Amino acid sequence: MADLAAFSRFARTYQAGEIIFSEYEPGDSFYLIQAGRVRITKIVGDIEKNIDILSAPEIFGEMAILEGAPRSATAIAVETVKVLEFNRANFEILMMGNPQIALRLLKVFTKRIYDQKRRFMILTLDDPQAKIADVFLMLDETQGALNQGEELGDKRDFRVTVDDVAHWAGMNPAEVQTLLSHFSNQRRIELYSDHIVVKNINDFIRFVNSKRKK
Amino acid sequence: MPKVGTYRANSVIYFQGDLGDKIFVLQRGRVTLNYNDIETGKLIREIIQTGEFFGVKSALGRYPREENAVVLEDANVLAFTVPEFEAFSMSNTRIIIKMLKVFSNQLRHIHKQVENLMENPSAVNAETGLYKTGEYYLRSRMYSQARYVFGRYLTYYPAGRMAEQAGRYLETAEAALARYGDGKGPAPLAVAQVASPYVGQEDAAPSAPPPMAAPKPQEGAGLSDVAKDYYNAVSLFSQEKFQEAMKILKAILETGSESEYVGKAQFDMGRCLFALGQWDLAIKHFTGIVQSAPKHPDMADILYIMGQSWEKKGDKARAKAFFSKVLSMPGDDDSSARIKAKKALGALGGA
Repeated sequence: MADLAAFSRFARTYQAGEIIFSEYEPGDSFYLIQAGRVRITKIVGDIEKNIDILSAPEIFGEMAILEGAPRSATAIAVETVKVLEFNRANFEILMMGNPQIALRLLKVFTKRIYDQKRRFMILTLDDPQAKIADVFLMLDETQGALNQGEELGDKRDFRVTVDDVAHWAGMNPAEVQTLLSHFSNQRRIELYSDHIVVKNINDFIRFVNSKRKK
Repeated sequence: MPKVGTYRANSVIYFQGDLGDKIFVLQRGRVTLNYNDIETGKLIREIIQTGEFFGVKSALGRYPREENAVVLEDANVLAFTVPEFEAFSMSNTRIIIKMLKVFSNQLRHIHKQVENLMENPSAVNAETGLYKTGEYYLRSRMYSQARYVFGRYLTYYPAGRMAEQAGRYLETAEAALARYGDGKGPAPLAVAQVASPYVGQEDAAPSAPPPMAAPKPQEGAGLSDVAKDYYNAVSLFSQEKFQEAMKILKAILETGSESEYVGKAQFDMGRCLFALGQWDLAIKHFTGIVQSAPKHPDMADILYIMGQSWEKKGDKARAKAFFSKVLSMPGDDDSSARIKAKKALGALGGA
C-alpha cells in the first residue's frame, strides 16, 4: 500500500472487543483498516448476527457519506486493530495522495449504489406478494453462489427469517408472515424458522416481471 | 492500452442486461444512455458529454449494464478494460475523486428514495435502537460493549427518554466489568424483555431497583411465575400504567410465597401509590415496610420517597427529616437515593 505515514493524525487503534461504532449511532466517519480484523454485526431480535469480518485494506462505515444517518451495523475489533479514520470533510486529502484507496472506495460506492437500486426496485412494486417474491430474487442474484454442492435446479434455499424478508420488503413482519404462509399453502415455498426454501425461482421471476411497471 | 472503437449512428455500444468489463470514454460524436426510471417506468435519455466516462459502475461492480448505450451520431469511443482503467486511475487521481463525488451523490439520492418508500421507516428509531443495543450487550455480559453503547446514548441523548435508565445501566456495566470482567458474573439483566426503562417523571421518579439486584436465575430453570409477574408489573409501571401494575403487585403480595419478590413488590407498590399522587397511602404503606422489614434492601429509596410524599403534602419539616435520614444511613456514598436526597434537602433550604 502507499505510504500512509503522513496520515498518522487520522490513525486510531482499537483493542480486541472494543466497539468502533455501534448500530444506530449517528456516524460521520469511515474507516480504512490497516491492521487487524473487524467484525461487523447486527442485533436482530435477541441474536447478534455476524454480517462480515473485514481486514486490511478494506473500508467500512462508508455510508457515513450520507451524513447523520444512523449506523446500520456495529463494528467491533476482533483483535488489536489499526485504522485510519476519515470523514466527508477530510477524505479528499487522503484520496489525493492514495489513488489505490480512492479506487477501492469507488468500488465500494459502486456496490452500494447497485444494492440500493435493487432494493428500490423491490419497494416500487405495488403488489405486496410481488415485493416478497422480489426479495428472494434479489437474494438469489446476490448470494446465488451459496447453494454450493448439490444441484438444486429451480429450487433455492435462503438463510433468512421472516423478519429479514420484512426488512428488505419494507413491510411489517406480521403482514409478511401472513403472505409467506399463503405462499407456503400454495406450495411455492417451504417456511422454516431459520431458512426459507423457494421451490421454483423461475416461477417467482415470472410473477415479479408480470407485476413490474413497464 | 485502451482501444479506440468507431461506432456508426444508430448502433448500440452495449445493451441493458449485458455483462461487460469495459469502461468507456466518449471522444467524438453523440451517445445517449437510455433506461427506464425504476419508479415510474418512464424512459430516460441521458446524453453523454465528450470526454465523459460511461459504463463505469457496471464494469467495476461486475453487474449487468443498466442502460442501452445508443450512438446518435458517428462516434469514437475509448474502451478500457478494468485493469487498464485501474492503471490509468493511479496517475489520474482527480478523475477518481470526481467520480467519487458523483457516486456519493448518486448513493445519497437513491438512499433517500429507498427511505421514502419504506412503510415503516427503519422500524425502530435510532434512539430506541441504540438503547436496546446497549441492553443486549449488558444482558450478554459484554460489559465493555454495553458501557460504550450506553455512553454513546448519553452523549447523543443526554435528556433522552431513556437517559436515566441508560445512566444506571452504564454504572452497572462499569461495576460488573470491574468486579467480574467481560463475559463473567451473574447476568445483570436476567429477563429477556426487561426493556422498558422508567419513563422520567421529573425528579419525582423514585429510582428503579438497580439492575444488579435482578434475581439470579435458579439453577438451570427459567424465571419463576412470581418473577415473571413481578417483571410484568415493573414493565407496566414503566409505561405509567400504575393501576394495572398495582393489581399484579397486590396478587404477588397475597401469594406470599417467594420472599425476594414479595419484598420487591412491597416496595414497588409504594412507588405506584406515590406515582398516583396518593401521598397519604404511600406514607402509610412505606411506614408498614419500615416497621415490618427495617432491613429492606431498598430502605434508602423508601425513606427518600416518604420524604418526597411529605414534601408534596406541604410538610417541609417532615420531608427534611426523611431526607436527612437517607443521608445518615450507612452505605454507598453515591447511591442514587443519597444523591437525590441531598439535592432535595438543598432545595428545601439545607439540612
